[in-house]
Amino acid sequence: MLISCPHCGPRDLAEFSYQGDATRTRPEPASTDTKAWHDYVYTRPNPAGPHHEYWQHAGGCRAHLLIVRDTLSHEIHSVALARSANASGARA
Amino acid sequence: MSPRRTTSGGSIDRRRTIRFTFDGEAYTGHAGDTLASALLANGVRLVGRSFKYHRPRGVFSAGIDEPSALVTVLKDGVREPNIPATRIELHDGLRVESQNRFPSLAFDFGAINQLGGRLLGAGFYYKTFMGPVIGPLKGTRFWMFCERFIRRAAGLGRADYAPDPSRYERMNAFCDVLVAGGGVAGLMAAEAAAKAGKRVILAEQEPETGGFAKWSNETIGGKPAAEWAKTASERLAALDNVRLLTRTMVWGYYDGNTLAALERVGDHLARPPKGHARHRHWTIRAGAVVLATGALERPLVFPGNDRPGVMLAGAVRRYAGEYGVLCGDKTVFFANNDSAYQAASTLTKAGGHVAAIVDVRPTISEAATALAAEAGVVPLTGQAVVETKGGKHITGIVVQSFDAATGALSGDARPIECDCLAVSGGWQPVIHLASQAGAKAEWDETLQAFLPPAPNQRWSGAGSFLGQMTTAGALESGRNAGLSASGKKPSRARLPEVEPSPLEIAPAPIFEIKAPISATRGKAFVDLQHDVTADDVRLAHREGFVSVEHLKRYTTLGMATDQGKTSNVPGLAIMAEARGISIPEAGTTRFRPPYSPVAIGALAAERYGNLKPNRLTPMHDWHVEHGARMMEAGLWHRPMIYGAPGETVEQAYIREAAAVRRSVGIVDVSTLGKIAVKGPDAAEFLDRVYTNMFSTLAIGKARYGLMLREDGIAFDDGTTWRLGEDDFLMTTTTANAGPVMQHLEYFLDIVWPDLKVHLTSVTDQWAGAAVAGPEARKVLEKCVIGTAVDNDTLPFMGIVHGRIDGAPVMICRLSFSGELAYEVYSGAGHGLHVWEALMEAGESFGITPYGMEALGTLRIEKGHVTGAEIDGRTTARDLYLDWMLSKKKPFIGSGLMDRPGLIDQNRIRLVGVVSLDGQPLGGGAHIVEQGSLDALGQSIGHITAFCYSPALAKYIGLALVKGGKAQHGRRAFVSDPLRKRFGPVELVSHHFFDPEGRRMHG
Amino acid sequence: MVERATPLGADFRPGSYGDFADGVGVTLSEPSTGTIVEATAWPGHEKALTAALGRGTGLSLALAPGAGAYRDAKAAAFNIGPGRFLVSGKDEGLVDDLARAVSLETGTITDLSHGRTALRIEGMATEWVLAKLFALDFSLDAFPVSAGRATAHHDFFVQIQRTGDHRFDLYVFRSFARAFAMALRHAAQDVGYAIK
Repeated sequence: MLISCPHCGPRDLAEFSYQGDATRTRPEPASTDTKAWHDYVYTRPNPAGPHHEYWQHAGGCRAHLLIVRDTLSHEIHSVALARSANASGARA
Repeated sequence: MSPRRTTSGGSIDRRRTIRFTFDGEAYTGHAGDTLASALLANGVRLVGRSFKYHRPRGVFSAGIDEPSALVTVLKDGVREPNIPATRIELHDGLRVESQNRFPSLAFDFGAINQLGGRLLGAGFYYKTFMGPVIGPLKGTRFWMFCERFIRRAAGLGRADYAPDPSRYERMNAFCDVLVAGGGVAGLMAAEAAAKAGKRVILAEQEPETGGFAKWSNETIGGKPAAEWAKTASERLAALDNVRLLTRTMVWGYYDGNTLAALERVGDHLARPPKGHARHRHWTIRAGAVVLATGALERPLVFPGNDRPGVMLAGAVRRYAGEYGVLCGDKTVFFANNDSAYQAASTLTKAGGHVAAIVDVRPTISEAATALAAEAGVVPLTGQAVVETKGGKHITGIVVQSFDAATGALSGDARPIECDCLAVSGGWQPVIHLASQAGAKAEWDETLQAFLPPAPNQRWSGAGSFLGQMTTAGALESGRNAGLSASGKKPSRARLPEVEPSPLEIAPAPIFEIKAPISATRGKAFVDLQHDVTADDVRLAHREGFVSVEHLKRYTTLGMATDQGKTSNVPGLAIMAEARGISIPEAGTTRFRPPYSPVAIGALAAERYGNLKPNRLTPMHDWHVEHGARMMEAGLWHRPMIYGAPGETVEQAYIREAAAVRRSVGIVDVSTLGKIAVKGPDAAEFLDRVYTNMFSTLAIGKARYGLMLREDGIAFDDGTTWRLGEDDFLMTTTTANAGPVMQHLEYFLDIVWPDLKVHLTSVTDQWAGAAVAGPEARKVLEKCVIGTAVDNDTLPFMGIVHGRIDGAPVMICRLSFSGELAYEVYSGAGHGLHVWEALMEAGESFGITPYGMEALGTLRIEKGHVTGAEIDGRTTARDLYLDWMLSKKKPFIGSGLMDRPGLIDQNRIRLVGVVSLDGQPLGGGAHIVEQGSLDALGQSIGHITAFCYSPALAKYIGLALVKGGKAQHGRRAFVSDPLRKRFGPVELVSHHFFDPEGRRMHG
Repeated sequence: MVERATPLGADFRPGSYGDFADGVGVTLSEPSTGTIVEATAWPGHEKALTAALGRGTGLSLALAPGAGAYRDAKAAAFNIGPGRFLVSGKDEGLVDDLARAVSLETGTITDLSHGRTALRIEGMATEWVLAKLFALDFSLDAFPVSAGRATAHHDFFVQIQRTGDHRFDLYVFRSFARAFAMALRHAAQDVGYAIK
């Protein structure tokens, strides 16, 4: 499988490491809402279909990527640098 | 000259004789032969014994589809079993053995299984051994007992235990167009793409490109087809933008147009040159793919269809056309389609004798009739073979009238003498790669075959893969596929001229001749390699295993090493008929990689032996030269002890640890993870990731820090040094350097992208030597210049910069051992230089290098935690590090660390353990309140680290025990049934030695 | 000045190895790099950083991902990530020049002169050997001279700059250098190689 890193171009899957669900929202740092923290750390939707997730190009530019990947077909619908994607509010 | 070798024709080199042995007997062949063609040329018909029934088997095909002629190759003292004789290129010194026979091929004890044939049907083993336990002779245990014997009797070749001395390697390649298959269509596609300026890889699994053209006896562009193919291939090879890979099978089609191919670089050589690979595994990333993988011929299923001498008609044609080998003196063809007539024609032209052509069809095309006439026979139409005669080799057949519409047999059974029966049941395109790429095959009524689906990755098809069964079709579809893969429109330019082919390409929809089975007639086999018969398929149907996937698993049809290349479609057809549905309704299995077996060695390639690279510190060679016994800590190699002659490991570490407490020791701490944390927000960032405060840390000072995970569990600890206002040097544990880096990068990239902080791994930039012991300061005073190291200049947790013997150093006073201690950091390239200078300075104080064992002993005595205690389950409170949890600020993990389950006092928490019987403790041993070695008590915790403490003169350890501190002073037992250890212990504070820390502050 | 020790060990000694009967396909060496630094720009300050690096090294650096510049035997720099560059030079003093040239408003400089080891591979079979280790397209079109790539071979993290048609400089973590040199040598067996 290849992932097209927006910085490095298409690279082998082996260079990337999965960094978790990208749909979760981290509570405010000082939040004492245990339920919100619990949802952030543990609750995952596990969709059958497009899934927003973070990957790090650990064996390359080290950037974190926001990837939309289909969990049924492995097809990668989109890849973006997580920094720019999150800044532009492209996150799901 | 061999008895069955023609005097001319074909592409073998008759001037070059090659010697080889089969089952110890010497034979000769020619350059260009395969083992199969050479054996056939020598008149060797019996080549192996079958999987289950030990029936005699011979060569059945001429290529990768071979189900029967599996042999073991002996090379360099290694046995490689289950290699099809059709895939072995003859070379001098080739040694081959037949398989699955005892004591010999001709006389095989296992053949007795044939008599029990009715018992050994599909599911026999499951029904007999794996069923519910009724009486003593069933159930899993009984199966496990019997399995050994069954495995010995039934099976393929035997591998051995000798290490494989061959070299394997991997290769990555990129191209615009990958053409899989170097037949006529593939050659055309590659040339079209190459002319369009694309980077092309053409992979052909055989030693030469050309495919069918090599033996078809046709002409292309006015030249013999074989010659045309050779020229086309040479033209391609001469192009800079084409890589022509022969002996290279594309075996896997993965996501993102990534394909796997195996190049058999050295199998055809007696000995590969020095340093050269035997197999090369290619990972090819292709912009577009042209699948020109051809088609494979199907046999017909009828009683006795496995007898040696029964072969595929196309194979008989190839042996005659390419290798100049006549498979029989009297050959009968048996077919449901016209291609067998071309085979008969080729055989006749090569000098062979066609005894008869039996055709299930009532009428045949004029062109076929004409070809039969050339071969000197009148086809026996509307007839079928119902039986084969002979023992270890076919001596004749029996034919009967056959109604193609009903499948009914009638009339007299008539014998025909022959020594070769060439069978054709139609052709199945090799759609494996397309299927792997993800789409479902489509049934074609005309061709009675599965055709490739519409592409769902960037590939296009060409040639007989697409069902283009003529050479003209291959030329045109090949060129178009090459153009389409290059993003170009189909061309109207003239194609090389070929003879018109008036033959009918559609076969009759006949897959099986259902003649009554009898002992003399023999079984009707579908899967020759796994000995699956037509009756087995019907048995599976009767017992409810009707879906293709169930049929496959129940009968093992198509699951042998040939992956059912000749048996999938016939098996499916028989099941469809039994169910009364059409073949496409019965479905087809999805093909999975590999297309054909790939040696595990080729996949492992360079990952053989030591799988992990050794990470070495700058002082590595010094350690080894000074008697260090090295141990692995992750990828790192670190000294475990520096053993003096005759010393045990325990004696060595006790000596080393005692020296540190008595005078001074030195240990290599270069492996600690080090991360440069820089930027205006560096201090703020550290406040967020550590549980304690770092923004208050003064420049030139270090602080011990603890990190939690988001779920509130302890993650890692270490000291972080403030080198400047915006410049920190973080240290992590050796094991967690990578994970901590990723953790920090994640938070900067995703959670706090607004923070201006840069991280760089500087683990390898610094060599670290910890100098520890009461005399440590004196050692530094002797060698450090440019700074004082007294208590005022360099207090506990202070940092200074200076030089040692000319090399710049950075010294931080911190202690893991509990002694007065300093970590001396220098540039890694100066590490050895500084280390040696420190050794020299410490000589008069008896400075002792110490290893991991002594380091561990010193920290256990002090009760310092490491990864053994920060094990991914413990909290800061469990380790009595609550004092590090700042209440002034949130930090990673603060949101969840106070959950009731995590603050429960009764969790397993850190304590010290003292052995009361003077015996060692053991890592991972349980702590129990009562019991014995035989009666295991309830575990209340476990030991995480242990040692002999020279300071306390006792065996001690650290443990995680329920209740922790509340247990201090209690007696318990260490219970270690694996090591047969049970004994009394006392649970105490983990601060065994100098709890007030006077020594390190001194 | 204390001379820096090489991490490559005694096994990495000059000579010809592997199947070199018909000449060697590649030559391996450890180029002298007195300075190696990682320079990183704050978002939006990438241009200022390349300009500052240019002042320090005399190289003119483009901003494109993987872009690099190379001055034989003097200095080299290439992009290894968003806003991030690996800069190297022959002189040990370059690190200080660069630290002065790059202000904290622009970005940061981290000294890796001891922390990374450069290995040079050159010769006609260079691409063939490297393709065994890395899933990168080493053709000149895809990987032009002076461009750089950050990639990995199993546990080896490697930053690569093409410094000639058939020459590449590979930067690895120092502690991995000896093992990586072994992997490189293993891969070069079939083409024959020399150590210079």
